[in-house]
Amino acid sequence: MRTPFSDVPRTTLTAFYWAFILYLLLPLTLMMAMSFKDANFVAFPIGEWTFDWYVKVMQDKQFLEACLYSIMIAAAATLAATTLGVWIAMLIVADGIRGQIVLFALACLPAVVPGMISAISLRIFISTIDMPTGTAAIILGHTVHAVPFVVVMALTRLRSMPGNLVDAARDLGADSIVAFFRVTLPYLRPALGGGMIFCVLLSIDDFVRTFFLGGYRPTLPMLIFAKVQGGMSPEINAMATLVLVVTAAVGLYAEYFTRRARTR
Amino acid sequence: MVSSNTTAGFGTVRDTTVPKYSTGIAKVVNSALYRYTLGAAVESRIGRILLLAGVPLIWLIMLHVGPIYQMLKISLLSHYPVQPGRESHFTLENYAIFFRESIYFTPLIRSFIFATAATALTLVVVYPVAYYVAKIVRPEGRSKALLLLLVPFWAGELIRTFSVIMLLANRGALNVLLREIGLIDRPIPMLYTSFSLGFGLVYLICLYMLLPLYSAIEKIPSPLLDAAADLGAGPLTRFRRIVLPLSRDGIVSGCCLVFLTCIGVFATPMLLGGPNTVLFPETISGFFHGASDKWPVGAAFALIMLVTALIAAAIFMRLVGGRKRRAI
Amino acid sequence: MEPVVQFDDVTKSFGSYVAVENLNLSIEAGKFVTLLGPSGCGKSTSLRMLGGFETPTSGRILLNGKDVTRVPPNKRNVNIVFQDYALFPHMTVAKNIAFGLELKGLDNDKIHRRVLELLELVQLQDYAKRLPAELSGGQRQRVALMRALAPDPDVLLLDEPLSALDAKLRQQMQIELKAIQEKTGKTFMFVTHDQEEALTMSDTIVVMNKGRIEQMGDPNTLYGRPGSVFVANFIGETNLLRSAVLGMESGVAALNWNGVTIKADPGGLSPKVGEHLYVVLRPEAIHCSADEPATGNRIKGKIRQRVFKGNHTSMMVEVGDGALLNTLVHPSEIAQLEGEDVWVGWKIETATVIPDRHAHN
Repeated sequence: MRTPFSDVPRTTLTAFYWAFILYLLLPLTLMMAMSFKDANFVAFPIGEWTFDWYVKVMQDKQFLEACLYSIMIAAAATLAATTLGVWIAMLIVADGIRGQIVLFALACLPAVVPGMISAISLRIFISTIDMPTGTAAIILGHTVHAVPFVVVMALTRLRSMPGNLVDAARDLGADSIVAFFRVTLPYLRPALGGGMIFCVLLSIDDFVRTFFLGGYRPTLPMLIFAKVQGGMSPEINAMATLVLVVTAAVGLYAEYFTRRARTR
Repeated sequence: MVSSNTTAGFGTVRDTTVPKYSTGIAKVVNSALYRYTLGAAVESRIGRILLLAGVPLIWLIMLHVGPIYQMLKISLLSHYPVQPGRESHFTLENYAIFFRESIYFTPLIRSFIFATAATALTLVVVYPVAYYVAKIVRPEGRSKALLLLLVPFWAGELIRTFSVIMLLANRGALNVLLREIGLIDRPIPMLYTSFSLGFGLVYLICLYMLLPLYSAIEKIPSPLLDAAADLGAGPLTRFRRIVLPLSRDGIVSGCCLVFLTCIGVFATPMLLGGPNTVLFPETISGFFHGASDKWPVGAAFALIMLVTALIAAAIFMRLVGGRKRRAI
Repeated sequence: MEPVVQFDDVTKSFGSYVAVENLNLSIEAGKFVTLLGPSGCGKSTSLRMLGGFETPTSGRILLNGKDVTRVPPNKRNVNIVFQDYALFPHMTVAKNIAFGLELKGLDNDKIHRRVLELLELVQLQDYAKRLPAELSGGQRQRVALMRALAPDPDVLLLDEPLSALDAKLRQQMQIELKAIQEKTGKTFMFVTHDQEEALTMSDTIVVMNKGRIEQMGDPNTLYGRPGSVFVANFIGETNLLRSAVLGMESGVAALNWNGVTIKADPGGLSPKVGEHLYVVLRPEAIHCSADEPATGNRIKGKIRQRVFKGNHTSMMVEVGDGALLNTLVHPSEIAQLEGEDVWVGWKIETATVIPDRHAHN
């Protein structure tokens, strides 16, 4: 790649990039390192290194329950958000639809509203429909949060679909529903794959909505938060590290997957 | 029975296994159950419209507009939830309260200042990184460069905020390091201050700024920069006159996104902030976890925050991104 | 015999724009019919109405006698081959072709047998398990054709299916398409703007212009005896000689064309003196020679331009008051160069006459 640029900006920028990477990874690395500390308090320097905290965490019933709870909520919210998101996207691209912009704006609304306000508004909302705080409310909140992202991903993919595909299916005897399931949905699959993983991670990481909509059963972030309020301990670091590693791995895989699919 | 007969042509293997066709479809579609329900629905125009638009519209109105609308409604009531035996009436008092006491409007101002400062700082910090990945890195390596940056992204607000504590605590890495090299005797209390809050905010949102910037910069055709360099423009000039203007859309969307996120952060101020850095979300939350008939005030405050934040974002978009077709 | 397709006074308008106006068309079974015309003439709209993708604003469409005007496409026994093929990208060739068959409720083996049968028709048996992305343009076209034929439709519609192919492949596919049509005996309705294509493949050509049928007939008739200026211009190259009638003599009209007197056979028309007519003269009907020819019409002119076109040369010859004739010669026949004199001549019966319907055209 020939470039007439002088090397000064190049090396400066490269250094900057790596400095930034360092900056991003430093706190997380420290947090992970602290989880190996052989002591009951959180402080540097780390003396002895141990896996004890991990053992403790893996055996902690509360932690495991919170994991399961988070995963369950994430699964439910993902399913709901994906179905709704695709449905909304199909409406937006439908033939002869008017007010597409309004529909799109409505669909994106929860993403534009600051998280806190979204959480509060949902808290008020469930109260007005006499829904108690708890699992159902959390799933609802996470679904509302995730729908805009699914809509955008589905729309992008749908707009790249050749218009004749559905026509061809109908011409060969399929009604609108069959055409959707046999042609449109398979076409959407790559976008949906990445979208669903995104929804799962969005749900597992969510704090503010869960805070206001949740009951007494903690999700992972709620659990960590409660423990932090109770006092710092390497145990919390171990928990956080576990969550970090798993979600980062899944997230990276999803990114890698979608980027590969896009360039293929 | 599969007979393999590889000829010279790649892939032309005569495979005689019979594929499995989707014969179930016809069975489903021709079944009475389908024909009288979905099948009948898709036949008529009204049916199709209902099927397509019904659920989405109900969802959008009820759950996207609904909560905001309810919030607005509640903010105009005197009491909510309504205890039995009492009644609630229309009032604007909840909004008036906001303007009366400094303890109420100061946090909002503080939120705005923090959000704006964090946004500006993030822009300055992230822009070179985005430029680096978009323009300096070879196209093949860009994915990897980006992936590396996105590693912390998936950890979530809480964990990333928590990790900042490790860095800034009295016995956190930074203080210990400074003590080790002898710069200080006592740990500098960095947590629970504006500094830690600001640091945490930037740390949290910098990646939200990255992707819009990256997309915008990547779209700038490299030949433009090459041509400019050919014509004698130095790196600063190229940046000022080509890169910056052409990436304006990315800057605007990135900043708006980041600003709106900052205004609404809840966990980070609680973990990293102190008594002097009460931000507005905390103020609002107070109305919901305390005495239960203060909800209307909280709702009013939330609405005030929403409106001001959106107006600020709109003004910003107009100012910076507004005139698109102006000659340079 | 009842026509397989009938358009009864079909009109289609989009708002104030009338795409198809009072179309009356019957198509007989087993024929290769082409709708030919420039873009915007209504040919694609008519095709889509037959396929069920547009609903006529007024009028009826009958398929084998049944009124299908309001019947949705999935319930009509008509299939389309789209211009961009529209093959389902996530399905193999076999599954693409089987799509329509699966919906009919046939069992697995029957479907497979039919798929293989169709693949053999176009020599693609080895490609059954491939995905469309792995096929070439021509192969995809064949798969699209077989997919449309699989459910055994009454009529097969083809919407400019060859326009995406390069010239050589196009010609090859034209022959193949025609062969398949003859072999299967299906009624084909083909839409194109390429008149050469239409002439090659069709049993019947329907020339359309601005939503109406200009002329309908077999290729020979349309080429040799165009009924209107539009058709004459659209099909093949032509000279349109606008002339005034001087008089009639034993069935042959004498006309004044730009100061030159020519004779033409007025056909069924009985022109009056002073009336204007068009004489339609194909370039290949004109003989050019160095000496005066013995044909019914002979004029001396000057060569204005010679354009070498490979297997022939086009020559523009100026005659009379500066009028130009477009002629076609073998390069070896005429040695004269530009600026030199040449004789042009044609037999009276090789030109047709069209009335001048409009004062200005």
